[in-house]
Amino acid sequence: MTRAPRALAVIDAGAATTAVSILGRPADRWRLLGSFAAPAGAPEEELLGILAARIRAADPELSDAIGLGKSVPNAMPRLESRSAPPRTLAVLGASRRSIALLETVAAGTPWRIEAASTESHDPREMTALVLRTEVSAVLLATGDPPGADERSAIDDLAALVAAAARRRPDLQVIVGEAIRGRRAWIDGIGPDAPGDPARIIAAPAVGGRRSADGRLRAVLDGLVADPLDARRTMGIAAASLADLLDRRIEVLEVGHDGGARVMASPGVAADGPTWAGVLTARGALVPPDPDELLVDQVLAWTTGSLDRHRMGDRLRDLRGSPWSDAVADGARLRLAAARAALVRISAVTPELSALPAPDLTIIAGGCFAAAPAAAVALAAADTIRRTGATQLAADPARLLGPLGTIEDPAERRALLADLAGDLLLPLGTVLVAGGIGHRRDDATVARLTLEQDGTSREHELTSGELAFIDLPPGTMARATVEFRSPARFGHRTRKGRVDVTGGLAGLVVDLRDVPLRLPDRRNRRRALLAGWTALAWPGEDR
Amino acid sequence: MSGEMRDAEPGPVAAAIGDAPVAGGLALIQARTLLVRPVEATFTLQPGDQPLVVAGETVRSGAPLADRVRDPRTEVVAGPPPREAVEPGSYWTRPPGRRSATGAGRGELLFRSGGRWRIAAGEHHELLESPFAGTVVDVRPGIGIRVRSSAIGILGREVLAGPASGRLEIVAPRDGEVRASEIDVGAAGAILVTGGHIDAEAITRARAVGVRGIVVAALGVKERRDVLASERRSRAATHGLPPFAILVLDGAVRRPIASPVMAMLERLAGRTVAIVEDPPALVVDDPRLELPAPERDLVRVVAGPLAGAEGRWAGLAGPHRFPGGVVLEAGFVEFAGRPAVAVPIGDLERFV
Repeated sequence: MTRAPRALAVIDAGAATTAVSILGRPADRWRLLGSFAAPAGAPEEELLGILAARIRAADPELSDAIGLGKSVPNAMPRLESRSAPPRTLAVLGASRRSIALLETVAAGTPWRIEAASTESHDPREMTALVLRTEVSAVLLATGDPPGADERSAIDDLAALVAAAARRRPDLQVIVGEAIRGRRAWIDGIGPDAPGDPARIIAAPAVGGRRSADGRLRAVLDGLVADPLDARRTMGIAAASLADLLDRRIEVLEVGHDGGARVMASPGVAADGPTWAGVLTARGALVPPDPDELLVDQVLAWTTGSLDRHRMGDRLRDLRGSPWSDAVADGARLRLAAARAALVRISAVTPELSALPAPDLTIIAGGCFAAAPAAAVALAAADTIRRTGATQLAADPARLLGPLGTIEDPAERRALLADLAGDLLLPLGTVLVAGGIGHRRDDATVARLTLEQDGTSREHELTSGELAFIDLPPGTMARATVEFRSPARFGHRTRKGRVDVTGGLAGLVVDLRDVPLRLPDRRNRRRALLAGWTALAWPGEDR
Repeated sequence: MSGEMRDAEPGPVAAAIGDAPVAGGLALIQARTLLVRPVEATFTLQPGDQPLVVAGETVRSGAPLADRVRDPRTEVVAGPPPREAVEPGSYWTRPPGRRSATGAGRGELLFRSGGRWRIAAGEHHELLESPFAGTVVDVRPGIGIRVRSSAIGILGREVLAGPASGRLEIVAPRDGEVRASEIDVGAAGAILVTGGHIDAEAITRARAVGVRGIVVAALGVKERRDVLASERRSRAATHGLPPFAILVLDGAVRRPIASPVMAMLERLAGRTVAIVEDPPALVVDDPRLELPAPERDLVRVVAGPLAGAEGRWAGLAGPHRFPGGVVLEAGFVEFAGRPAVAVPIGDLERFV
């Protein structure tokens, strides 16, 4: 007879850092006893040993109750998720138009994309791209029938990809039906193509129909599906959590090699909870080989005096050592890079941006783990802009990914039910209103009334104002916003009333533009950003 | 020091590594591997480059590995007749007697379309020479040649251009900088160790006087861009320049060369060494050579205001609050015999 485990090791092996946690069940429910993160590559046993020693030192009785004092940490049962390095996909097309379509679809997948078209590259350059060892798959698709701008080059492309497939038996080839039927492809690939025949995969035609694009995205997603991938399992855990809390939950994650945006909804009637989302390599904090475009994207969110070259140097080093330089201006640089990544994630998820604001937004990713709560809340409010109210929380112990690896939904839900209060760190609530218009004076455009425990506080709000209002974790209040003229607050209204919950950042009231428009002139933009940053990063923390 | 000190004592001595006891928690620090032996280097080929070796072949230092095209382009040719079973990637030369008004007349077969072959060809060629002796493990036209050697490699972060070989000369201390005026023709044929930083002007000067390579701790994006542009220009020129490579040991932001690496470079001064791209390393073809090993508890700060400082690991310090309102796991480090200070463990590296 075996006894049910009373301690559980949870490991999220990320690309930049490894986070370990120990869960214990001293009585009738699981609790998060502690967590710890270190640069990737640190031995998990060492991390667990240190964490176990700290728990023992802090509470010997609790350790005894869960058997932590006697057991060796590596003998504990484990839940583990991981982040595999993204694979590179060469996207080839017969025209810039078709490449743009294919890139748009592929950008919503975990693939890292290298694109080339016959209008921008010659056949030797395209062959060189496909032969590069880091390229593990090639995508060649066209419209069906091919567009007028594709017809002249389609045979050359078919022959080029077929020849590359013969030269690289390890290469996965995702090729459209319109291509596979052409003589150039049939002759090029030959009857005796080396390698596994299953590596040649049919791609649906592309061309603006959402269903076709969705099928191609599903094909690309399927090729990199990993049941232990932390981003994927995070979505599964978010769905269970949504069902448990009966809330619509959005998860925003920025990682070293990619990011994710997931929307999870509770089950309705007999239907179980669902999640939909995008895991994208474009959501990486700093993509490999940072270029001028990335430097500009990050500079747009900085208030310091770094020039383009120095910013490029910093970003290149941040990519190389993502666990380092997280203090002082390094912390602000990270959040600037995280904002740029969130903007990129938002750009590839327009369908999620169009949804109403979720009840709860969970911010995940190592770049947010150590930053002050208000700064994290501001980064989210700056970039993911939807009118309405959403509660913000973080997953500081990085439990969502590993918990999503539990295959049995009932078991997963039960563990989440025990841990819901421990795994989420409340950051506060963000209220965003748009369509208020600009006023040059400081005239009041709205009044916020906060009712809490029988008392009420009123705040006069001006156009474009950003305010942080104290609302400690664990407190609830009812917020009523009355606008002078109709504004967008979820929908167009003069008055909105929502329940808000407190957090480390309190209540963030945001009447800035939706979407946020920053001045083009650098000094004005920096002054504006510095003013907002001062609110979120006050005093000696700056 | 940026960190806020706590009253906590340095961590307990948990394990004895080698001869000297080392404070616990050192395994959490990012390990930087200094040496690789044996070296298995990959030399990248582009479509159009013709391999001159086959797998299993033994090559000596300086032996030609491939005939590289400096100005590659695509040509459309009749190519081999359809009845000949040729594979893409094969090298094709126009048979004697067949004339063509234009084109190089030889090149790598890319693919056949519309009855004609596309080949990768070029007018100007150069030899890719093996920078050390070894055995060819793999040859993949258009992709690369892999050579295994019993040589020793000092690993860096990345290599620009290359490969190249020459005698190693140290022209600056580990935290120094070399300016263009300090490089003269006496350095022709050498690989220079230039300390913590080198500017674009000095790199251009080095290239012009025939320096074969540079070893530097950090190379900024501006210098990097200039080097790559210069390399492209020199490859496209009618008369190519000799091989040139830059081995970047650390990253982009200026910092000194790590002392264990510098100690090894000083031991190698005057010897013939090579810079290879994959793995990014400085290779010395002497498997019996003994290089100084770093002390086990030596740690180096890689980022922040103390970047480049080195000290002794004194144990884990636990979570600390640092400037920026950031709470991070920290470790105690003793710098130059002073009392230990707390440094984020993510800002440290150790050497293995």
